[in-house]
Amino acid sequence: MSDPGSSPLVFPSVEWFQALRELVNSDEEFRRLGNIDAVMGVKVGERVFVITFEAFECTGVREGTEYDLIDADFFLEMTVEQWRELVTNTQENDGADLSHTLNTLDLMIEGGISDNATGDQLRADVFFRVNQSLQHFFDSSARLETVFE
Amino acid sequence: MATVDSRTKYWEQAREQGFDLSWLSQLQDHVMGDGVEEYSANDTGRVQGSIPRNNVARFGAYTFRTKSEVWAHNLTKLYEEFITRQWSSATDIPWETIQALPEDIEAAECQLATFFTQVEFVASDVPGRFISTMSPDYQEVRLALLAQVMDESRHLDVFRKRALANGGGLMRMTDSVSDVVGGSTDNAREFTEFSSRLHITGEGNVLTLFRLGEMMAYNDAEKAIYRRCAQDEARHVAIGVLHLRYMNEFSPERREEIHCYLDEGESRQATGAGGENPAGQNQLTSQALAVLLGGGKDKMDEGQNILRAIRQRQTKEYFQRLKSAGFDDRIHNGRVSPVLLEQYKAAA
Repeated sequence: MSDPGSSPLVFPSVEWFQALRELVNSDEEFRRLGNIDAVMGVKVGERVFVITFEAFECTGVREGTEYDLIDADFFLEMTVEQWRELVTNTQENDGADLSHTLNTLDLMIEGGISDNATGDQLRADVFFRVNQSLQHFFDSSARLETVFE
Repeated sequence: MATVDSRTKYWEQAREQGFDLSWLSQLQDHVMGDGVEEYSANDTGRVQGSIPRNNVARFGAYTFRTKSEVWAHNLTKLYEEFITRQWSSATDIPWETIQALPEDIEAAECQLATFFTQVEFVASDVPGRFISTMSPDYQEVRLALLAQVMDESRHLDVFRKRALANGGGLMRMTDSVSDVVGGSTDNAREFTEFSSRLHITGEGNVLTLFRLGEMMAYNDAEKAIYRRCAQDEARHVAIGVLHLRYMNEFSPERREEIHCYLDEGESRQATGAGGENPAGQNQLTSQALAVLLGGGKDKMDEGQNILRAIRQRQTKEYFQRLKSAGFDDRIHNGRVSPVLLEQYKAAA
């Protein structure tokens, strides 16, 4: 959970992702998982967020548009309800349970959740190559007090 | 090759700037340059960029001494990813979470672990032969393959440990893997032939299976094994895609030859012949997968349904890799395997 007295963070929002960024950048375990050079799009319903990772850190978080997804290595897309379920599950289990990991969701949700906007699988494969770092990133949200839009 | 003066100047500047984390890249750029020769006359084992010495025994009868035979862009960056994402079967797998399993589940798990041990043996053995026959001037390729061999050794080790960890032990060697062990991948004599077969077809299929692993794992140890292996396998696939992309761009005269390798790979992917695709139909391994995914021998139908969806996913990713490498014309001109095309349309 976030610090006592601090306001809950709204999902989805730049502030929510920014808090995740701060958590993983001070997390030795995230660093130990290895370097990660990737631009990840996160599409929550109609809203788009762009998360940038360089070397052992998350270096950028911003809100974007559909056009930004073209430049992302890969983007994760789910409905607002599916994202809400993922975030809630992560909080309840101190990390996503088996049926809510990014990898399982990608295999089980029809059409998958991860893709490259231009159909370039080499860049889409980055999702597989650094998957455990991405999972750690989202699992860290168990430490944030979150409310939903 | 840089001059002594320019090297000295660079070192002075670098020392003043405090050697930041990009130091090695700067060394490459400013001291070595990117002078990778199209043809390597190096037959002495001289390391890339070092100053030649006269009268050295010519022991390096390297088979691969042409850049266009082996090269791929951005392998240095991929290598950095390789080395920072290493793990250990001794310290990163929670072996203590493995508990006694129903006999049919344990047998299926061990059959699959035996298959992966067998396949990873090939996947480490074959690249090793190419490393030793490649000019040292192509250091980036050598490093990427060396890192792959390290990954595959770990996979060989971790699946063997899993087979032995819970009383099941190593099971039957998969018959059809004769096309892998001692077969077409093992027999590749040419780098692009080897890379197409191993990195694109073989590892591409196994990657999907490793990803599936966390869904058929029965404890945290198995989940950790599959998750870690999936990351590793995706890097190996990247070597193949980057190489084919380079070949498409710089050796277009070899496109037809490469299409032939892909013909062969698709045929085996579609039929299960060759045994590289453990999810292929009517394989000993696909039966094991169906047991694990379904939750028991009596629920194999459920598991088979999931496997069907997985084959479609394998095909979709393979088609997109063709596109990334510049060989997707075969999807549109009728050359691609009709079985795979059908699966691709179903997945779309």
